[in-house]
Amino acid sequence: MKRRTFIQAMISVGTSSLLAENSRAEHNKVSLRFLRPPAALAEDEFLSRCIRCGKCGEVCPNRCIQYFDLENGLSSMDTPYIIPRDKGCILCMKCGEACPSGAIPPVAREMHTILDNVHMGKAVVNEELCLSFQGKTCGVCYRACPLQDVAIRVGRLEQPHVLKDCVGCGLCERACIQIPQAIRIIPDYERAKT
Amino acid sequence: MSWTLIQRHLNKLRWLVLSLVFSMLILLPFLHLYQTYAAAHAYDLLSPMEKTISDSMEWLTKPFIKDPATDLNQVKGTTWSATLFGVKVSDPLAVVGHVAADKQIYIPFLVTALIPIILTMVLGRVFCGWICPATLLYELNDNLAAWLRKAGLPVSRHKLDTRLKYLVLIMGIIISALSGITSFAAMYPPAIIGREIYYAIALSGFGAGMVFFLLTLLFDLMVTRRGFCRYVCPGGALYSLLGRFRLLRIKRDVTQCNDCAKCNVVCQFGLDPLRDDFSQECNNCTACIAVCPTDALSFTLNIKDQAFQGAGHMGHLHRKKESESE
Repeated sequence: MKRRTFIQAMISVGTSSLLAENSRAEHNKVSLRFLRPPAALAEDEFLSRCIRCGKCGEVCPNRCIQYFDLENGLSSMDTPYIIPRDKGCILCMKCGEACPSGAIPPVAREMHTILDNVHMGKAVVNEELCLSFQGKTCGVCYRACPLQDVAIRVGRLEQPHVLKDCVGCGLCERACIQIPQAIRIIPDYERAKT
Repeated sequence: MSWTLIQRHLNKLRWLVLSLVFSMLILLPFLHLYQTYAAAHAYDLLSPMEKTISDSMEWLTKPFIKDPATDLNQVKGTTWSATLFGVKVSDPLAVVGHVAADKQIYIPFLVTALIPIILTMVLGRVFCGWICPATLLYELNDNLAAWLRKAGLPVSRHKLDTRLKYLVLIMGIIISALSGITSFAAMYPPAIIGREIYYAIALSGFGAGMVFFLLTLLFDLMVTRRGFCRYVCPGGALYSLLGRFRLLRIKRDVTQCNDCAKCNVVCQFGLDPLRDDFSQECNNCTACIAVCPTDALSFTLNIKDQAFQGAGHMGHLHRKKESESE
């Protein structure tokens, strides 16, 4: 084989594998449901601000912050994420203090500052899976919530109702005793807060 | 103890500092694990391995701290960005990449890089030689290359152009600006090392960055001596530029020099102390000072290198010239 043909072949293999990688990442983005750390900026801004120092995870007392490898594409490599079913965020707001580059702005650990600045997502109850909606009093999600009666309230038979102030910390999803979980956080990457 | 004697042993001090920084990078993830165990208040639920970590870290830190949750937060992070007793210190390269990617300047972050920038302007590429956790591994790697060379293998013999790394720096800035992502984080060995050690100890294991770092080790071993630091590293390029007019330099005392050329052999950056050529690449590692048999090399405060002073007065070249002129 000539050297030129060999080099051309190598380049085409490399680019095609990169493209395949990217398309896989795009596909993953739909199915991979993750949260950014509390008070993180909107996704695009977050990615350009984050310098991948890993300090947010290093100060997290709950060890809920993990880091992407390549599973969410090259752009998310080494950025922090939280899988709420594994471990929810306890809203200690230490990651914001530790972040040097403002990707996670510092937010005081007060009720009103957290409600104003943290929009990780919003909890959604699947009534077909939820025990309380099936007549078996449960209420675990309500008890796990750090913002009881602000973010979630319970009605008859401890049926959970998520309010508009839910910040999406994921502790309810972590605590849900149903498999699969009846309450899930739908991430809000644009920080639109609906 | 004279100043010359101290300078002769500075290289040992440098190895001590390098090892200390590296061991801190290993210790900090363990301390973080200990913090989370303490925060969970569930010692009896830990696995035997986790109990060992918890016990040993408790033993290590007990004399210094009261409450692990708050007191151990004083020292966090890596050399890429660290918090040291409430002061955040970041790598200037992180700031450059961040500004390029974000296209705006975040002042609190800029401030965190001030201390390293000032230190670099005074001391030159001192980060590369004295602090960088990758340097420790690269120097050990270079020792391995020396053994292989002694065994007769043709390893790391090539030379490239040192200006290549400025190109990498500029390309990195352009890529960061176009993609909106700090690209340096993925190709700067000290950042990778700090992260990967943390991943390996506190999280699931080494990531893709480690593969890249092993490739750079292989590049150094096979292609060119300390190749990544000299020819590719964008941080090295930035520090070289910042330290171009550094105050602290090594100079050759021509009356003491005997032209033995040991300094040129020991210099891993391939510089030419024998001909007074240190340039902006020198990282003040002091290896040449340590090896010099006549103490001709020493630190000096000057913003410019000396021009070539000719053959050393103790060497045979100079003697020959003298005898000819007589």
